[in-house]
Order: sequence, then C-alpha cells, then structure tokens
Amino acid sequence: MTEGGINGFSSPRADVFPAGLRVLVVDDDPTWLKILEKMLKKCSYEVTTCGLAIEALDLLRERKDGFDIVISDVNMPDMDGFKLLEHVGLEMDLPVIMMSVDGETSRVMRGVQHGACDYLLKPIRMKELRNIWQHVYRKKIHEVRDTESHDGLEEILMMRNVSEQSDDGYLLCGGDMTPGKKRKDAEHKYDDKDFADHSSIKKARVVWTVDLHQKFVKAVNHIGFEKVGPKKILDLMNVPWLTRENVASHLQKYRLYLTRLQKDDLKTSSSGLKHPDFSPRDAAGGDRTDHLKMQQNEAVNSYRPPSNLLLQNANSRIHEVDLKGTASLQKIEPKKVLTGFAAKSHKASCSNVGMSHSFGSTQYSTYNSVLPTQYSWNEGFTEIQFKQERNPQFQVENGFADLGLPPLQQHNQLNLQPLQPIANGLFGKERDKQAKSSSGTKSSFGSYSLPSQNLMPSFQPPDPSFQPPDPVTSSTWSLKDDQQTSTDNLELTAFLLQGQNCPSTNLDMQNKGMLEDNDPGFIAEVPPNLYDALRFDYEFPDSLEYPVIDQGLFIV
Amino acid sequence: MGYLDEQFIQLEDLQDDANPNFVEEIVTLFYSDSTRLIRNIETALEKYPFDFCKLDDYMHQFKGSSSSIGAKRVKDECSQFQECCKARNIEGCIGVFRQVKHEHATLKRKLETYFQMGSPEINLLL
Repeated sequence: MTEGGINGFSSPRADVFPAGLRVLVVDDDPTWLKILEKMLKKCSYEVTTCGLAIEALDLLRERKDGFDIVISDVNMPDMDGFKLLEHVGLEMDLPVIMMSVDGETSRVMRGVQHGACDYLLKPIRMKELRNIWQHVYRKKIHEVRDTESHDGLEEILMMRNVSEQSDDGYLLCGGDMTPGKKRKDAEHKYDDKDFADHSSIKKARVVWTVDLHQKFVKAVNHIGFEKVGPKKILDLMNVPWLTRENVASHLQKYRLYLTRLQKDDLKTSSSGLKHPDFSPRDAAGGDRTDHLKMQQNEAVNSYRPPSNLLLQNANSRIHEVDLKGTASLQKIEPKKVLTGFAAKSHKASCSNVGMSHSFGSTQYSTYNSVLPTQYSWNEGFTEIQFKQERNPQFQVENGFADLGLPPLQQHNQLNLQPLQPIANGLFGKERDKQAKSSSGTKSSFGSYSLPSQNLMPSFQPPDPSFQPPDPVTSSTWSLKDDQQTSTDNLELTAFLLQGQNCPSTNLDMQNKGMLEDNDPGFIAEVPPNLYDALRFDYEFPDSLEYPVIDQGLFIV
Repeated sequence: MGYLDEQFIQLEDLQDDANPNFVEEIVTLFYSDSTRLIRNIETALEKYPFDFCKLDDYMHQFKGSSSSIGAKRVKDECSQFQECCKARNIEGCIGVFRQVKHEHATLKRKLETYFQMGSPEINLLL
C-alpha cells in the first residue's frame, strides 16, 4: 500500500490512486486509533496516527504536502475537534473528516459548518473508510477549477488515467478534468502557452502562512474591499513568487472564511443558530460579509472566506454606512442603521444565508441606498433564521427582508436567535441554549415566518459573475472585535483551512458572529416575499424593493 | 445475548496474517484504557457539587471507547447515564453507573473465556 515512502514523507502516488492515499488519523482514544489504523491499512492507504490535536497540527506543518486527508475525532482533550478542523483547512487546505460516537444533528451541522467534508459516526465501517478518497479527488478537481492553478492538474490527470485503466468499480472515470479544464480556460482565459507551461511544471502549493496572509489582508484593506481584485492585491503585497492565481483563490477563500466567521461569532454569541437548511453555499455568502467587516477590524486574523455575494454586499454597505456597530444601529437612524446594518447585520444574518449569489449581485447595486433591499435575500435569509426571537420592533414586514439588512434594531440588540422556522425542529435545543447566552435583546424584526425548509432549497449557487464588492477595509464591525481577538490566530489558520466547504460553515456564522451584544443583530426576519424571492430567483432587486422604511423598519 | 454487536465481527474481519491476534489486542487495549475512564467518572461522582457537564463528557468518551469493540450492553447503559446527566439526576447517574460497571466487567469475563475457547463461543455473545 505504501508506495510513497517508508517514513511518511512520501509524495502522493497518483498513478495508483487511491491506494497509497496518505491519511492522518487523530483520535485520543487509543483503541479507536488502533482500529482505524488497521482499517485504513486494509484499504491500502498510508496511515499516520496521532493521539492529540496539537501533535497532529505539528505533524501537518512539518510535513507540508505530506498528507492527503485528515480524519479526526470531534472530542479531543487538548483542542476542540472543530478548531483543529478549521486550522487544517486554513493552513493546509486538506479535506478533513470528522468522527464521533455522537450523531446529533446539531453536532454534525457544526462539523459541516466548520468545513468538514464528511462526518462519520462511530462505530465506523470499512466501507465508509474505503471511500474517503473521493474527498481528496473532489478537492483536487475543484482546486483546479477554482484557483486557476495547474498544480493539481497533473495529479488529477494521473488519477484519471488510473481510473480508466482500473477494473475497480469504485474508481472514478476521470471525465471531470476535461470539462474543468475547459471551463477554466474559458473563464480564465489562459492561453495555450501559459497552460502548457504550467502543466509541465508542477508548482508547489502555496502555503498561506500567517505573515503572508497578514500581507494579503493589509493589501485588501488598503485597496478597499469593494475594489479589491487579485491583481491589485498582488501588486501591493509585493511578494515576488506569488502569482495572481494564488491570490485569486486565496481571496475567494478569505471571503468565505469571513462569512463563516461571522456565523460562528453569531452562533457563539447569540443563541446558536443553526441553519441546517441553509445550503452551504448560501450560507457562506452571508457570513462572509459580516465577517469581512469584522475581520477587517480585527486585523484579519480570523477570516473566513465568505461566500462572495453576501460579503460583498455587506461590505459595500458598510462603507456607506459607516456602521458603528451596535451603537449606531441602536440609535435608530434608519438610514444609517440600514446601511450599517446591512453590512453588519447582514453579515450576521446573511452569512448564513449564503444566498449571496444572485442576491448579492443584484443587491449590490441597490446596496447603497438606504433601504437594504438589495440585500434582500441575503440578509433576509439570515434574517429568517433569526427572526424568531427578535422583537418585532421593526415591523418590517416586507421590505426588510429584502434588504437583507436586519432591521435596525434600534431598540434592541439583535438577538440572533435561531431562525425559528428553520430551527424549530433541529435547533430547538440549541436555540434554547443560545437564548440564554444571547444578549437577550430581541431583534426587532417582525415575525417572518419563512418556511425555513423552503429556504434551503431555494438557495442558488452564487452567481459566478457576481463581483462581490471588496470588503470594506475600514469595516466597522467592531462588534466582533472582542470576540475575534481571542480567536484571531486560530481564525487566520482556519481561514487558510477553509478551502473546503465554506458554504456550509457559513450558516453558523450568521447570527452568532455578527451580532454580539453590541451588535444589534440585524437579523431581519425575512419577509415572506423575500422568501419567495429567494426561493425563486431573486434576481431582482427591483421586485424586492420593499418600502421598508414605510413599514417602519427603522424604529425611529 | 446482545453483549456484542457487529462491530466485534468487523474486528474479527480485520484480523489477518499481519495481525493474527488483532481482536484480542484491541480488547486488551480497551480494558486497560477504560479503567482510566471509569476512574474519572467515579471521581466526578464523588465531587460535590456535581458537574453534570463533565460527567456527561466523561461518559461520552467511555461510550465512544466501548463502541470500538462493539460492547452493546455497556453502550446502552452509557446512554442511560447520559440521560440522567441531562436530567441532572445524580441518583440516577449513580445507579446507572453501577450497571455500566457491571456490564463492563461481565463482558470482560466472557471475552476472556472466548479468547481461550475460540470462535464458536462468540455466538453466545452476539
């Protein structure tokens, strides 16, 4: 099985893929560790075991590119499994599978939100382990497509060849590469020459160290989130060996990360909003914006690559509004609040939504206006989630949702309470718990009872053409500062880890992250229409422009 | 009998020429490690005020470990214990924990017999 090497410092053997897959297993239970090792060896994988999370991280750092996938238990004594998950995603960008004897939906949800590519329940079956290679393969494919890097191409091609030659049923036939490659070419306009050059050279994967990332964030902040673009960032960063592609893919992850971060913050701060229904992608969007803001304030440490849209919207809004966080929001300056809120709350709420995609784009344009209609569904989405708890200060019935900006909670703190409709079944528990920890103010959103279930399916993938606005560098998301600082470093790494499933993680972020006590969680409840808009295709902001103000969204 | 579930069978399937005593090694490892986990719980049950979160956490670990060898009855008692923790029912916890230890010890004896006698005996345990 171990074609690669004896001491673990092997390189992947794509030609015999998936045999030789280099797996790192992390579990504090020695019995399970031994069993898993044996099981993985039986799958012809190359196994390394670790009893502690810190040990695992050290190992991963030491052997850059020494592993293909990580499997970790959720409950580790020295570090929360989810934190490890984030770190791995950020720093090493490896797929991580979580394991636990506990299959509670909320836990699984958290795993997914933090970026786990799978969540296995103990006792684990051989057949489940046999298939883990799919996560490695999938990631490679996505990387090639999304990051414009050719690094993975060779490997994927090799894997592809293997599959075609192999008799094994479970090997994939690698038809994927071609379309991916084509798409990439089309989208990124690689000329043949470039491509050829790249493919002949196997580039080393860029490791986004803390320093590099700091430079990145500084550049982003300097340029201004709305205007940020890989080229500009690259120029500012002044790192000779870095390519535009590297920056582009990192920027994308960053955005998702911020979104996710937002969600997490919201989650931890307020009641744990879990939005199981949120499709991962959607969720990501929302969080991002919020996070983005927050992150910026915080100095980037923990950024989550937000999903494009939401983040962008949020950011732009933030600029406009100059949100001061809760304070301003609370002031009930509708206008201000809105904008600020949009940015902020949006984050909180939106992040989860992740609906950004179309929403984002359309929304964006209107973003500047006071009414956060643009946000609409992003915000709304998140709102939906939150709305339950909030006080209907706002009486925002319709407009609000669209805005996506949670109605300014002028009066109260936005409590990001788990969106009831969505959360009811699932998060009832969480919600209760959260409720206790949340700031206690209810957002004043009206009560939108958006059928959470519906929301989920309606999320559409982010509009690829959407150009999310650059995050506001000045972001006023000070709210998060407090929370963030402590986790900054982790966040930073988490961000780097993100690679994986940003979207899914964003959900969490929405409420939690954003609206801390100081942040009046703008979790606007998504008005029913918003919901529909979301559902069906929000593209239009025009249609979503609810006369929020008229509705007294802002509590003046 | 329900002492063991199919996880145990899976362990047997893993046994091969490279690891001819795999199952026994795993069971031995489990029993030596679980002593520590049991002690943690006992200590926590003696500490007042009772920390149900911690108790639940320890039991969660123990349950996870028990699942590794397919100790079905032990696992079931663990779940019951966790229910008592949720209900903050300390007496319930203490009572169930006694059951946990009893099942844990019974299984150990039966497995020792099994390893001495060989395969046919396993049917009595499944």
